[in-house]
Amino acid sequence: MNFILQGFYEAMRLLFTGDSATYEIALRSLEVSAVALAVSLVLGVPAGTAIALAHFPGRRLVVAVINTGMGVPPVVVGLIVALFLWRTGPLGSLGLMYTLQAMIIAQVLIALPIVAGLSLAALQQLDQGFRLQIMALGAGRWRTFLLLIREIRVPLMAAVMAAFGGVISEVGAVLMVGGNIVGQTQVLTTGIVTDVSMGLFASAVALAVVLMILSFTTNYAMTIIQQHGSKSRT
Amino acid sequence: MSGSPILEARDLTVVRGGHTLVKVERFGLEQGEVRVLFGPNGAGKTTLMRALNGLERADGEILFEGRPVRSGGDRLRLRRRTSAVFQQAFLLATTVRGNVESGLRLRGVRGDDLRRRTDAALEMLAIGHLAERRRAGLSGGEAQRVSIARALAVDPAVVFLDEPMASLDPPTRRALLSDLEVIFHRLSTAVLWVTHDTEEALAVADRITFLARGEVVQEGAATDVFNNPATQVVADYLGLDVWLEGHVEDAANGSARFVLDDGTSLICAETAPGPAVACIHPDDVMLFLTRPDSRGTSLRNVLEVTVRQVRAAGRSRLVALDWQEQRIDALLTRAACEELAVAPGQRVFAAIKATAIRVLPRSGGNDDEA
Repeated sequence: MNFILQGFYEAMRLLFTGDSATYEIALRSLEVSAVALAVSLVLGVPAGTAIALAHFPGRRLVVAVINTGMGVPPVVVGLIVALFLWRTGPLGSLGLMYTLQAMIIAQVLIALPIVAGLSLAALQQLDQGFRLQIMALGAGRWRTFLLLIREIRVPLMAAVMAAFGGVISEVGAVLMVGGNIVGQTQVLTTGIVTDVSMGLFASAVALAVVLMILSFTTNYAMTIIQQHGSKSRT
Repeated sequence: MSGSPILEARDLTVVRGGHTLVKVERFGLEQGEVRVLFGPNGAGKTTLMRALNGLERADGEILFEGRPVRSGGDRLRLRRRTSAVFQQAFLLATTVRGNVESGLRLRGVRGDDLRRRTDAALEMLAIGHLAERRRAGLSGGEAQRVSIARALAVDPAVVFLDEPMASLDPPTRRALLSDLEVIFHRLSTAVLWVTHDTEEALAVADRITFLARGEVVQEGAATDVFNNPATQVVADYLGLDVWLEGHVEDAANGSARFVLDDGTSLICAETAPGPAVACIHPDDVMLFLTRPDSRGTSLRNVLEVTVRQVRAAGRSRLVALDWQEQRIDALLTRAACEELAVAPGQRVFAAIKATAIRVLPRSGGNDDEA
């Protein structure tokens, strides 16, 4: 029991003395997840919108694939990315294995179906007449897209939070494709796994506390934005 | 209301999922005209309106201000010169002012011009006091007024209205309808108004295009269409649902005899001899307790009938009458009904003018649509 308290005190010391290694790992986690989330939004929102509004053969299959993608275990995603990026894999020549880019790719593949799937669901719930009304106002495709996104911004923020929560807390995929290299590809989740395996509970608790603070702060900020959007949506 | 149409369609067809929803040979909307697209549910009114507004792809030719509308760019240009109001208001997530401004902003209007035109549209629809209110704080009627103000603010060449009153309660609807009658007669904007409501159509329409099964079955001045339905499907829809089968003979000097299949006959306005069907609007049937003296009057037909049933029809009473083997309906005010003390089984006299008997050629074409 004592070592738990010791671990907690040690965590506080590392945090409040500004331990560079701890903050470096935290920043790396934030960087990887933020970039992955940004890429997922850029790709996922238009994709979800296009699928929600378009009618084409095989649309149901595409929606089913996206919905399945929302529930694929991150470790499977990690395996698939690893197979592609492995030295002898189809994309091995790019030399991305065990890099931050590989970790970002893996996290994009985790976040993308969440963003696309939830955007699609939000748009499908919007009356089809709404799109016609926006078009009838004289909006071209791009303005129609922007006005529709504005209309679904509350559920869209839920999608952003779900996707961010999914990637910041994910361990399997980044461990597999990043290699958990200290000082290079180690992030908060993989750092916790390593510390626990080595019996460094204080360090592990410190990283866990940082992870929780990071997760809470970003979600709190996004919740404020979402709730503001919810008020102005009416 | 003369000159070349501002919006025109030729050989317009809309096919979805193997079904032809609209097949219109020719349609023209003139500057300043209020045209009502009228007809039963599923007639293709909304689909035709969307095709003409560039919201729905269609085969055939559409000409707007004399220029063909073919590409996506042409359709966008068309939408930027027109505006639309739907059954639901579909307001954007902003204030009333923001909504009315939205169409103008999309057309690049900014600054003083934006404010001036927005204020004018708010004023026109009597919603200036709601300008800073958000959409959640609006009633259905207010929201629809905002939607109409948004549509008119852009000074459109054509306004498309797709059943704009359908989701409003009767008092709100009457008030808005009355305002729109005034507004549309003041503006030079052409209006294409989709409805299946007779009262609405008669209140606003200069001309009516009656659609059934995606095709135009009658087009003309509003009163002409209502008084002289060209086909059985139009007449049925207008409430002329009692049909007499027979043939026309002795057509001369402005009148003719409509001989029913059982040998009895009615005097009708002169029309081409041959097999025909006749209908009589319940409004045009007058009831008397004793045989009226029709000499010197236009009441050319006086029939002895038996009251079969009396039932409420809104604020009036619909009296079903048996005449020989036929059925005729009469529409009376509640007061008239009480004064005559009309009751089932009673023998009364029904008087009908010759001109009130609408006679249409008997052809199988439209019968199955009835």
